[in-house]
Amino acid sequence: MDKKVEPGKSSIASAIENVEVKLSRTATWSGIETKASYGPSDVAGTNYERDIGDPGKYPFTRGAYPQMYRSRMWTLRNIVGYGAPEDTRQGIENALKIGTAGINVVLDTPSQEALDPDHPLLTVDVGQEGCSLPTVRDFEILLDGIDVTKQDVAWHSTMMVYPMVVAMAQKQGKDLSLLQGSHMPDHIQLRLAGWSESIVPTGLGHRTTVDCLEYSAKHSPRWALGCPQAYDIRERGAGAAGEIAIGMAIVNQTLRDLQARGTGVDQVAPSMAWVSGSDIDFFEEVAKFRALRRIWARTMKDGFGSQDVRSQRLRIACHTSGRTLVYQQPLNNLSRAAIQTMAALCGGVQSVETCTWDEPICIPTEGARELATRTQQILAHEVGAARVADPLGGSWYVEALTDQVEADALALLAKIESIGLIKAVEDGMVEGLMDEYNLKLKREMDRGERVVVGVNRFIPKEEPVPQRFSFSQAHTEAHMLRFAQLKQQRDQRTLNDRINTLYRVVQQGRDNFHQAMIDALIADATMGEVWGTVRVATGLPYDPFRVLESPFAYSAA
Amino acid sequence: MNPEKKIRCLLGMLGTDVHTKGLRTLAQLLRDDGIEVIYLGEHNTVDGMVNAMIQEDADVVGISFSIATYLHYARQLLDAMRARGVGDIPVMVGGLVHPDDHEKLKEIGVSGIFGPGSTTPQILTFIRSVGQPAGA
Repeated sequence: MDKKVEPGKSSIASAIENVEVKLSRTATWSGIETKASYGPSDVAGTNYERDIGDPGKYPFTRGAYPQMYRSRMWTLRNIVGYGAPEDTRQGIENALKIGTAGINVVLDTPSQEALDPDHPLLTVDVGQEGCSLPTVRDFEILLDGIDVTKQDVAWHSTMMVYPMVVAMAQKQGKDLSLLQGSHMPDHIQLRLAGWSESIVPTGLGHRTTVDCLEYSAKHSPRWALGCPQAYDIRERGAGAAGEIAIGMAIVNQTLRDLQARGTGVDQVAPSMAWVSGSDIDFFEEVAKFRALRRIWARTMKDGFGSQDVRSQRLRIACHTSGRTLVYQQPLNNLSRAAIQTMAALCGGVQSVETCTWDEPICIPTEGARELATRTQQILAHEVGAARVADPLGGSWYVEALTDQVEADALALLAKIESIGLIKAVEDGMVEGLMDEYNLKLKREMDRGERVVVGVNRFIPKEEPVPQRFSFSQAHTEAHMLRFAQLKQQRDQRTLNDRINTLYRVVQQGRDNFHQAMIDALIADATMGEVWGTVRVATGLPYDPFRVLESPFAYSAA
Repeated sequence: MNPEKKIRCLLGMLGTDVHTKGLRTLAQLLRDDGIEVIYLGEHNTVDGMVNAMIQEDADVVGISFSIATYLHYARQLLDAMRARGVGDIPVMVGGLVHPDDHEKLKEIGVSGIFGPGSTTPQILTFIRSVGQPAGA
């Protein structure tokens, strides 16, 4: 180990060894073996027009737009969410002061799982990791004075968020066709990322995704759909090719099911954006973004018959990797996140959220958030990351790596689709792939074959205990009281009627159930009540923890 | 000593925490080392977990957290275990555990704390030292 002085070695010799830089690995972080150098023969089969193309031209390998960041800069995102709506509102205002584009909200873990804050087992989870937003009234408090048809609000959440926002907009008499913002409607990803069958059964989750995309394509064409949410898939346990393969399997299944309902690719794909990670292997990530755009373009055009260039040109929303950041010597995470952000920009993404250095310790402190913003500003203004489109295009290495990531992704995609996505998820095949990936990585680290600085090598001898983010629970307590009061004050008859309509629509299984959810939410049904009703109508227990019974008397159609 | 009897280790998460990646990996590493793992996964209740300990005759229990709710849930779990007469089963807590909370976790009755930086051999050594099955 680094700490110990081996017998027969002087402490000076050990100290030198501790700081020495050596090549410890010749494969990429995802496991693609690389050569010592690359040359023209490695890309001999490439046809520029067919496989690469200029930026903004099919197959968009080099970027979605001809001028890239000269015509449209990437969006600097800063995600905020903790405690009650009042707490998160304050956090958003602080983030806007530091410099961030728009409003980016993450929900607390109960809200992310469509569970109410008065669940008797989960009160301690309320306000953790995000903002508690169980009712439309809470959305109104969070967004007081903000017009959702004029201001872009990005929701980093899946379950129930879209119907909640639409319910608020409809309640306010807004024109849905002007609705701005985005969310991440991919429920299969939730199933894979630990929500599991108990919270998001694969079939019901997928049906909800398809319903959401269909509803949005019809009613809110300016709303952006972060689908697939491949970030969590990647973080959960996938390499660069795995991210593309699993994400594309979700996209293909979703678009096929939409087509069967009469919603064509060009009605929905222009609103879709890929939610991606940016992992630690710089060149591999650049190659991934390029391979991804090429696969997407060809899939839309050749697979789904798209005629609209907006469907074929993929927009990518990127969050730098949280899993690659480590607790030990946490300031090193500034370097990691800066390089990951640089990879995302060299890969031509449309928005970046740079993780804060204290991500492995706690929810971001404001000082760390400010540094994440500054990282992007340094890249934009000093480093020259925005100047030229696809700056690594034409590098023999990056082109060859792009081809390899693409080939690996297509092979894995074919394997998943030969089983069928839904079955592959339900039966645990996809989760098995993730377990395998994680286990391999862990074993390599345990054996010292894969080095993570501060974790299994160069371990700091003494470290100060890191500071944690903390905030007063006062707003959360008041918020929970307000929630209980709202439930008493509602018009019970309207609520029951709308909940029952929702129950019947879901149970019949023919029609899109989004409007029925929205109508119930407008009548002050809570998130937990609406999703609980959907669960009961599909034969599941109202409460995944099996503690609560539904408060409603349902009547079948 | 009965070499046939394996240590039975129950692993799970409590509350709304979905970050089971580490726990799933640990489950396989323990199995590879000859430990019998009862893997409960995520979204368990305290009562459900105590029932499983009793039914499965667990020798050691591991709970993992990525959210700062671990003091609350560890206390609830240990209280419920004592109330049901299985307070003697050693409990280990892993995940994003902050050093400031180590003392509190020990006061609650947690036997092993494996926060960031813990290694697989450390966890295995702990399980083997506390988890010898009764009658072994």
